[in-house]
Amino acid sequence: MSTDGAKIVGFCCHYTARVSEDALRLAGVLPAGVRFEHVPCTGRVEVPAFLAAFEQGADAVFVVGCEEGSCHNLSGSQRASKRVGQAKAILKELNVGLERIEMFFVTRGETEPVVAAAREMSERVGRLGQLYGEQAKVVEVEEAQ
Amino acid sequence: MIIAERKPLPELIEMLAGVERLLILGCRGCVAVCSAGGDKEVSVLATALRLGRKLAGGTIEIDEDTYVRQCDPEYLEPLKTKGKDYDAVLSIACGVGVNFIADCCPGVRVMPGLNTTFYGANLGSGEWAEKCAGCGACVLHLTGGLCPVARCAKSLSNGPCGGSVGGRCEIDPDVACVWHQIHDKLRELKQAERLGEIMPIRDWRPAGHGGPRRRIKEDLRP
Repeated sequence: MSTDGAKIVGFCCHYTARVSEDALRLAGVLPAGVRFEHVPCTGRVEVPAFLAAFEQGADAVFVVGCEEGSCHNLSGSQRASKRVGQAKAILKELNVGLERIEMFFVTRGETEPVVAAAREMSERVGRLGQLYGEQAKVVEVEEAQ
Repeated sequence: MIIAERKPLPELIEMLAGVERLLILGCRGCVAVCSAGGDKEVSVLATALRLGRKLAGGTIEIDEDTYVRQCDPEYLEPLKTKGKDYDAVLSIACGVGVNFIADCCPGVRVMPGLNTTFYGANLGSGEWAEKCAGCGACVLHLTGGLCPVARCAKSLSNGPCGGSVGGRCEIDPDVACVWHQIHDKLRELKQAERLGEIMPIRDWRPAGHGGPRRRIKEDLRP
């Protein structure tokens, strides 16, 4: 299965993803279809934003927040992680594979872990297929069972 | 407060089959406090239902609103006209709100988004427990403030039963035997002699067994 046309949305805070998406793309290190949503702190992102990304066509969503103890806003990334958990619970009710959303804790200011997170999600979409594809639906219903 | 929880999404999706224009209506009363039906929950449910409908190959137009309370007629006034613009109104208030919309808003199709569960207290973040059954004949002065109607699995008036073991209820070892707790509490209050008093057979009519209950306070009536 190919990731061509995959849409992957990554929510990143100022402190974990300082390098712009365009720069990473120009360097050729970012998988196709990945788009970053920069937010002041991942703790500011609520569950509806994750679900809306899927509704607007994303095949996967990921959140890149600061490692525990290094969050600029103390517990922002921990809050984000909880909300990713809440989104997973909703996706489970909708028979959507839980691997389509993930929280990543990364070292602040380093680009490599952010790129690694994007690649991980791209690999998952490659395995699961597009969210709105027929094949993907069959796989995910089986997973949910 | 009244405790409620959201119905499972598959149940809601099935309930809303054929609905193309939906209003999700929250309530800023009890259900907002127990994180089941406030502004935030309206927003989460709206996005979840939009996604659910899209995954099923369809679309649904959803508006979001939250009223101060759904159990007072003045707050429902706007819904009498606004509600008719939708195929359905999904109320995520308690069952009182759903009933009251049905009573007060003719022509508005209202559906329940929550299961209303009990009157409870907040034990800690994200945890609530039943403390009152609204039985209409309070005996808490006899039981050290602990309710045998709501907190005893058998609602015994003169407990404990033979299933109380080590202070735990036979229905589940995680459930405390409230009659064991009542004994401990009355001893602590130096009122252990109360345990010798036999409570008469309970009249369940005030608990709703005499039909729907109503309270009238004459001095407040117009």
